[in-house]
Amino acid sequence: MRVVTKAFLRYLYRRRSLSVLQLMGIACGVATAIGMALSAKTALSSFRQAVEFLKGRATHSLERPAGPMDEKLLTRIMTDPAVEAFSPVIDRRIRLANGEWVRLLGVDPFLDRLIRTELSRSRLDPSFLIEDQAVLVDSQLARQLSVGAGDRLPTSRGSLRIVGVFPHLTGEPLLLMDIAQAQRFFGLPGRVDRVDLILTDEASFRSKWAEGFRLQSGEQRQATLMDMLRAFRLNLQALSLMALFVGIFLVYNTAMFTVVSRRKDAGILRSLGAKPREILFAFLTEILLLGGAGGILGGFAGFFLSRFLTTLVADSISNLYFFLKPSSTQWSWWILPGGLLLGWGASLLGSFFPLKELVRVEPIQALRGRAASQKFKAGAGKVALVGLGILGASLVLLAIPSLHVYWGFAGSFGMLLGASLLTGLVLLLLGPGLKVGLQRLSGLPGKMAAGNICQNLGRTAVAVAAFMVALSLSIGLTSMIGSFRTSLIWWMGTQLRGDLYIGRIPDMEVPENFYEELRFLPGIGGVDPFRNVQIDFRGTSVYLKAVDASVLQKYTRFGWLKGGDENWEPVKRGAVIVSESFYRRFQAGPGSQFTLNGIHGPASFEVAAVFYDYTSEHGVIMMDRSTYLKVFQDRTLNSLGIFVEAADPRRQELLQEVRKRAKNRGLPVATRDQFWGSILTLFDTTFAVTRSMRLLAIVVAFFGIAGALLTLFLERQREFGVYRALGFSPGKWPA
Amino acid sequence: MEPVIRTIDLWKRYNQTEGNNSAALRGINLRIAAGEVVALYGKSGSGKTTLLNLLAGLDRPTQGRIEVEGQDLESLGEAGRTRLRRKRLGFVFQFFNLLPTLTVFENVFLSLELAGKPDREAAREALRAVGLDGKERRFPHELSGGEQQRVAIARAIVKEPAIILADEPTGNLDTHTGERVLDLLAGRCRHHGTTLIMATHSPLTCRFADRMLRMVDGLVIEERSGEEKQT
Repeated sequence: MRVVTKAFLRYLYRRRSLSVLQLMGIACGVATAIGMALSAKTALSSFRQAVEFLKGRATHSLERPAGPMDEKLLTRIMTDPAVEAFSPVIDRRIRLANGEWVRLLGVDPFLDRLIRTELSRSRLDPSFLIEDQAVLVDSQLARQLSVGAGDRLPTSRGSLRIVGVFPHLTGEPLLLMDIAQAQRFFGLPGRVDRVDLILTDEASFRSKWAEGFRLQSGEQRQATLMDMLRAFRLNLQALSLMALFVGIFLVYNTAMFTVVSRRKDAGILRSLGAKPREILFAFLTEILLLGGAGGILGGFAGFFLSRFLTTLVADSISNLYFFLKPSSTQWSWWILPGGLLLGWGASLLGSFFPLKELVRVEPIQALRGRAASQKFKAGAGKVALVGLGILGASLVLLAIPSLHVYWGFAGSFGMLLGASLLTGLVLLLLGPGLKVGLQRLSGLPGKMAAGNICQNLGRTAVAVAAFMVALSLSIGLTSMIGSFRTSLIWWMGTQLRGDLYIGRIPDMEVPENFYEELRFLPGIGGVDPFRNVQIDFRGTSVYLKAVDASVLQKYTRFGWLKGGDENWEPVKRGAVIVSESFYRRFQAGPGSQFTLNGIHGPASFEVAAVFYDYTSEHGVIMMDRSTYLKVFQDRTLNSLGIFVEAADPRRQELLQEVRKRAKNRGLPVATRDQFWGSILTLFDTTFAVTRSMRLLAIVVAFFGIAGALLTLFLERQREFGVYRALGFSPGKWPA
Repeated sequence: MEPVIRTIDLWKRYNQTEGNNSAALRGINLRIAAGEVVALYGKSGSGKTTLLNLLAGLDRPTQGRIEVEGQDLESLGEAGRTRLRRKRLGFVFQFFNLLPTLTVFENVFLSLELAGKPDREAAREALRAVGLDGKERRFPHELSGGEQQRVAIARAIVKEPAIILADEPTGNLDTHTGERVLDLLAGRCRHHGTTLIMATHSPLTCRFADRMLRMVDGLVIEERSGEEKQT
C-alpha cells in the first residue's frame, strides 16, 4: 500500500473515538434509509403474498356486496357449468392469548384442495372434520408458540384444539378450521363469507350472478386492496424519502468532517510533492472505507430496524385498512451491497465539495489547516440567493394543487433546503446584534463568541442548519400529530356520545337478538345498532355504516360540513349522509344521487348532508339500519352504542344491568372514556412510524451539530490554546 | 555561474483590499548558486517564510518571477511545481510537520516513494546519518523535538534534492540541539553539493552559512559573504 494512503488510513485507528462517531453517523444514516425502505417493502410484499396465497388457484371470488352470504347458494354454484371448482370460505381473525392477531380460515378440505393445493398436501387428521374447534396451525406459528398436535390454543373466542401442523407458506400466521366448525365457532350458521372459484367461462357466470353479488377476479381483488393502501403507500414513500434525506445528510456531514480534519496532512503531503490526485486517492480510500464499513454496518442495523418498523407499519395497515400480519423481513445478502452503495454514494456526495476545494487550494493554505473563512463570508450572499430561488420555486410547487403529490414532496424538501442555505446570510446579518446582545450578557467572551459565529460561517452555518432542519422536522411532526389528535378528540365528542359500547372487537359480532333484548329494556334511552362494512364504489373501496338515525339524532352532535341535524329526517326515510372525504372524492354533495349494488341489484340513494369523519380517508356512507337491511339484507351487527338519559335516576342501575347482560353473553363492554381511550391508543399506534421520524430528527441534530462543531474545533485547536494561555477557563471559551 | 535560484522583482501582498497594501515581499531580486548554504536572517514578519514558500512553489507571488534550475515556476504550472517539489526540492519546517500516523521510517520513506525511488535501504541510511537508527518504528509523538527535526532533515535529504529550504529549522529546539541539527544539515548539504537556504532569526544559524541575506520588511537589505560574516 502506498505510504500516503497508509498515513490517512491509520487515522481511523489513531482517532478511534472519532472514527466510531463517524462510523455511527454513516451507519445511522444508512440504517434509517434501509430500515424504512425494507419495512415498507416487506409489509407490502407480505400483503401481496398473503392475498396470492389465500387466492390459491382461484380465478375469482364471489361475495355479497355487504356481509356474509347464505350457503344455500352453493347448490347453484355447484351446478353452474362455468365453474370448474369452488370453495366456500369463512375468513376471520382471532386474538391469541398473547394478544397477537391471526387469521382463521374456515374451509371445506375436500372442496378446497382444488383451490389451495398447497394446503391439501398436509396430511389431514379425521379429527379435523369431526372434533369441535379443531384447527391446523401453520408450522412457523406452532414453532413460535411451542405448540403441536394435541395441544390446546387459547384465544379470545375460546380454546382451540390443535390437530395438526401444516407447512408455513406465506409468513402470515394462519389457522385452518373445517368450515362447519368455523360456522359454529363464529356464530354464522348457514352462512359463508365468500366463495372462491375457478371459472372456465367468466362472461357466462357473471351474467348469472350480476345482481346482488360482487364477483371479483384475483387481480381485481388485489388491485382494490392495493388501491386502499394508495395513500398509506404514499405516506411510506414520503417517510422513506425523508429517511433517505436524513441518512444522506448524516453521511455527508461525516465525510465533510473527515476531509476537513485531514487538511493539514494534505498540506504537508503537497509540500513534499504529492500530487493532488494522490491525496485525493488517499482521501477517497479512507472515505470509501469508512463509508463502506458504515454502509455495511448500517445495512445490518437497517435490517434489524426494519423488523421493528415492519411491525409498526403492519399494525398501522391493520388498524386503518385490513388485517395484515406480515412475515418478518427476510435477510438478503443484497442488503449489504445496498448499504455499501448508499454509504459510498452519500460519502462521495458529502466529500465532493470539501475535496474539490482541497484539490484546488494552494498548498500553503492547506498547510495552514484552516478553511478560508472569508470565502464563506463572501459566498454567503450568493448561497442565500440560491436558497431564496429554491424557496420561491418550492412555494410555487406547493401552491399548485393540481400537481402530483410527488411535486409536493419536492416542494417540502425544497423549503427545507432553501431555508438551510439562508442560514449563513442570516447569521451574518444577525452578527452585529448578536455581538451587542452577547456582550451585554457575558462581556468580552460573549462578544468574541458572536464574532466567532460569523468568522467560522462555513461550520456554524452547517450546525445551525442541522439544528434548524431537526427542529423544524420535530415541530412539524409534533404539530401535525397534535393537530390530528385534537381533531380526533373533537370528532369523538360529536359522534361517540354513547354511555356504553358493546362489541367493537373485530372478531366479535353482536347477536341481533341481544340488540332486540336491550332495545326493549325499560328505561334505556336508545341503542344504536352499528354495522360497518367495506363495499365497492365506482371501482374503489369505501365504508358503509348502518346506524339507527333516530338514536343518533337524539344523542349525538355530528359536525356538519354541509347541512345539519335536520338532515336526520331524510336519512330515516332512506337518504344517506356522506363523509367529507367521500364528498370531495366523488363530488357527492347534498342533493346528489348515486347507486350502490344491493342484494336486489342497483339501489339509488340521495345525499342529504356531509359530515366530518376521521375514520377513513376513502369515504364513508352512513344510512339508517332499516335502509341497509332493505338493500343488503345483512343482519350482522358489529357493535351497540347504549344511550341512557343523563337525568334518569336509574341511570347507573340500568348501565350496570346492560353490563351484566353483555358479560353473560361474553361480549366486551367499554365505557365512553374507555372507548375513546382505545381509539386514541389506536391513533398513537398508527402514528408510531411517524413519531419514530421525530426521533430520527433528533439523531440528525446530534450528529449534524456534533460533526460541525468537531470540525470547527479541529480547525481552531490552536486558537483554543491561545484562549487558555490568556487565562480563559474551558467553560468560558468564547466558542 | 548559472544560479540555481533566481528571483526577479518578487512581490507578495496579502489582503489586497482597497487602501490596504500590506506587502510581505517588496520586489526581491536574488541569485543563489548551486551548492551554496544561505541564511535568510531577519526578525519575525520580515518575509523570510513567505519567500521560502514562494521558492518552494507552495504559494504564488503577486508579482515577479522565480526561476528554479532555470525554470520559471509560474509557467511550470501546478503539476510542474509538484514535480519539482517531489524530485528536486526538500523542505524542513520549524514545526517539523511530520505525518503523525506514520512511523519515523515511513515518514522518510514517503519522500523516496514520492520521488519515484522507493529504496528502503536509502531511508535507513538517511536515518543512520541523522543518528536515529534504532528508532525507525517509533511514531513522531514518541520523539523529542530535536529528534523530530532530525527526522524532518532525513526526510529532506534522503531523496538527494538539488535544493533544501529550511524554515527556522532550529526555532523549536534548544541551543545545543539546534547547533547539532544545523551542523548535520549544513554538513550534509555541503557534502552532497546541495543548495541550502535557511530562514532564521537566530545569529547561530548564520554561522553555518556561506552567505547571509538580511531581510527587513519584505526587502533583502544586506548581503554578506561567509568571510565578512566571520568578522
